[in-house]
Amino acid sequence: MGFFDSLFNGRQGRSAQVAKERLATVLVDDRYKLTPEMKEQMKIDIAAVLARYLPAIDPDQIEVTLLRGEASDHLKADIPLRRAQQSDL
Amino acid sequence: MARIITITSGKGGVGKTTTTANLGTALAMQGAKVAVIDADIGLRNLDVVMGLENRIVYDLVDVVEGRARLRQALIKDKRLPELCLMPAAQTRDKDAVSPAQMIDLTNQLRQEFDYVLIDSPAGIEGGFRNAIAGADEVVIVTTPEVSAVRDADRIVGLVEAAEKGPPSLIVNRIKPRLVNRGEMLSVDDVLELLAIQLIGIVPDDETIVTSTNRGEAVVYDQSSLAGRAFLNIARRITGENVPFMAITDQQSMFERLFGMFGRRRS
Repeated sequence: MGFFDSLFNGRQGRSAQVAKERLATVLVDDRYKLTPEMKEQMKIDIAAVLARYLPAIDPDQIEVTLLRGEASDHLKADIPLRRAQQSDL
Repeated sequence: MARIITITSGKGGVGKTTTTANLGTALAMQGAKVAVIDADIGLRNLDVVMGLENRIVYDLVDVVEGRARLRQALIKDKRLPELCLMPAAQTRDKDAVSPAQMIDLTNQLRQEFDYVLIDSPAGIEGGFRNAIAGADEVVIVTTPEVSAVRDADRIVGLVEAAEKGPPSLIVNRIKPRLVNRGEMLSVDDVLELLAIQLIGIVPDDETIVTSTNRGEAVVYDQSSLAGRAFLNIARRITGENVPFMAITDQQSMFERLFGMFGRRRS
């Protein structure tokens, strides 16, 4: 990305980046035949399993993404924990 | 013994037929014996793209059903005696041929040619399965658009499932100016998404339209960027190590210069 480009495109949303991110998600979802409903259910199930070991987790806070890798794909789950519990230790 | 290479894409209209015609012509220009097969039964087009539509007597289905011998259905190119076209049937549908028959056909061609290029129909159904049945290698053509890339990925999965080995990729109709503005997926973006081997980058080029209008391959046009790109791909297919053209920066520099002087490239 050169100087001219940043000059002329600084404030415009880059649609190529949007396309790339959307495709990254849709390609792995296609490959694993994963529907949006299944992803929602997966979050609820993950929250239920973790609740056995950790303080209650809100499934809506969980972010699940499938990422394409060189040799294999990865399931990445970002699960925020409430910090309040740690200060009690 | 020929190498049998299928050109496919999933999505229609991304340039499979143009690619097949130009790679076939380019390989024959290098002295190879080449047969190009139109496997798009019912929607034949490779003949008009190559300017051979007036010479068709027999087609692929005639050969498969025994009405014509292989030699009778192979049409010689106008310029290159070592280049032949096997046209698709126009009045039949895709079920007229089975994968086993395609394997049989390609094995017969294998004896007489160095390269057999198969132009696949769009889609993932029977016609596509016929087109890859006899293939040793698969080349996937895509354009830098979400729909084409998504469909290309489906094809990657199907080609791997058919145990054809990893397919290679041609990214067609790149518009350098849009890529530079961040408004079109770059070749690197597409490669990252599809994670397969790149064999060619073809810039969007108006000479494709004019050469197709005339039924001539664009590889004859020395001034055509797309023509040079196809020649390079043909050399890579033969095993030569040809660096990829740095089309993105060069061309956009030109376009910017033109832009500065208030001219527009129409």
